[in-house]
Amino acid sequence: MTHFEMELEKLKNIIIKIGKLAEIQVSESVSALLSEAAAEGKEVKKTEHKIDKLDVKIDEICQSIFALQQPVASDLRFIMSAMQISNEIERIGDLSISIIKKTKSIKDKHDLIAKFNIAELARQVELVTTKTNECFITRDESTIGEIFVLNKTIKNRCDEAIHDIITEMKTNSKAVVSGTNLVIVLKHLERISEHCTNIAEYVHFMIHAKIIKHEKFDDKKLDS
Amino acid sequence: MRDIKIEVKDLSLYYGEKKALKEISMQIPANKVTALIGPSGCGKSTFLRCINRMNDLIPDVTITGQMLVEGVDIYNKDVDVVNIRKKIGMVFQKSNPFPKSIYENIAYGPKINGIKNKTELDEIVEVSLRQAAIWDEVKDRLGDSALGLSGGQQQRLCIARTLAVSPDIILMDEPASALDPISTSKIEELVHELKEQYTIIIVTHNMQQAARTSDHTAFFYMGELIEMGKTNAIFTKPEKKQTEDYITGRFG
Repeated sequence: MTHFEMELEKLKNIIIKIGKLAEIQVSESVSALLSEAAAEGKEVKKTEHKIDKLDVKIDEICQSIFALQQPVASDLRFIMSAMQISNEIERIGDLSISIIKKTKSIKDKHDLIAKFNIAELARQVELVTTKTNECFITRDESTIGEIFVLNKTIKNRCDEAIHDIITEMKTNSKAVVSGTNLVIVLKHLERISEHCTNIAEYVHFMIHAKIIKHEKFDDKKLDS
Repeated sequence: MRDIKIEVKDLSLYYGEKKALKEISMQIPANKVTALIGPSGCGKSTFLRCINRMNDLIPDVTITGQMLVEGVDIYNKDVDVVNIRKKIGMVFQKSNPFPKSIYENIAYGPKINGIKNKTELDEIVEVSLRQAAIWDEVKDRLGDSALGLSGGQQQRLCIARTLAVSPDIILMDEPASALDPISTSKIEELVHELKEQYTIIIVTHNMQQAARTSDHTAFFYMGELIEMGKTNAIFTKPEKKQTEDYITGRFG
C-alpha cells in the first residue's frame, strides 16, 4: 500500500468511527425520548467531544491530501465527500444532543408519544442512521435507495404528527408547552434523517461521480 | 467536437519490426489545448512527432494510416514537408535557442521565408516576443546573446521563435519539465493565452499540468490510445479503468 493509499484508508476509518459515534448519539436521543430513564448526560457530552475532535481531524487530513497529493478521479470524489459527510455527521450529533435536552421539557411524554404514534417514527430515524453508516462502508447501491425511501416516509410521518399536535394544541391549551417541544423534537428527527440522506447522496457521488443532491425524490436515478 | 483541426485515422508506427503506435484514431479540435499523457514509452512523444513528420528523420520508421491536417493527409507523397513544419511549429523539452542574438533567433525563420524588410522583421520580432510574454524582459537587450537568458526565458524565446513563422498548430514536448515553478506557471499561462489563435498539442508527464492547461486529454498506454475526452471528465470521472489507475498513481 502506498503512503497515499494509507492516508485514504486512515480517512475512511475515521469516517466509519465518527459515523458509529453519531449512531450512538442518535440511539441515546431516541432512548431519551421513548424511555423513562434520562440519558447519561456525561456520556453524551463525551461522545459529542469525540465527534467534534474527529470532525476537525477529518478536515485536517483532507486539507493535507489536497495540498500534498492533488487527488483526482475517484480519490478526489472520496475526499470531497469525506469533508461533506463529516460535516453532516457532526450536525447529526448536535441534533441528537438537542433532542435529549428538549425531551426533558416534555411533560406527559409517554401519553403524547403514544397518542401521536411517535415511537415508530423515532425507530425509523435510528434505522436510517444505521443504514447510512452501512452504505458508506459497503457502498451498496440498494442501501442508498432504501435510505431515500426511509427519509421520505420519515418526512411524511413527521408532517402528519406535527399537524396532529398543532390540532391538539388549538383545542387544548394545556398541551401547548409540551406540544411545542415535541414539534421541535420531531423537526430535529426529520433533520437527522435529511442529513443521512445527504450522506447517502455523497456516497452515490463517490461511486458514480453524479451529483444528485438537489434532485427531487422521484428524479433520483440510482443507476449511475 | 466541432471544428476539427487534425483527424487521425488508424495511424500505426513501426520502428523496424516493433509497433510503437497501434491504430490510433482521434480528432483534435482547433483552438484548443490537447494534452497527451501516459507512462514513459507509451508512444505519446512518438505520436506528437508524427503530427509534423519529425519521425521522417528516424531511419527504419514505417507509418501506416492517415494524419489529416485540415483534411489533407500530411503523409501524402505530394505534400511538402517544409510547408508542414512551417504550419506546425514545435517546442521541445530542452530550450534550444540558436547561439545568436535574441533578435536573430526570432527573425531567423521569417528571413528564411523571404522576409527582408527591416521594419517588417522588427514588427514580427516584437509581436512574437509579446505573444510569448517575454517582450518586457528582453526589449532593451534584443542584441544580446539568447544563451544569456534564464532557462524559463529561453523556453519562452523558443516559443516566440515558433510563433514568428505564423504556424497554425504548436506541438509542445514537455515544454516546462526542466523549469522552476514560476517559469512553469508562465509557460502554462502562455499556453492558455495562445490557444485563442493556435491549436496546441502538449505532451506532459506532469498530470497537474495536463489538468491545468488542456481542454482535452488523451491517455496513451503501450502504443494505444486508451481514452480521450474533455480534461475535466478525464480527471474527475475517466471511463476506462486503466486511465483511472494511471491518473491516480495506481498503475501496474
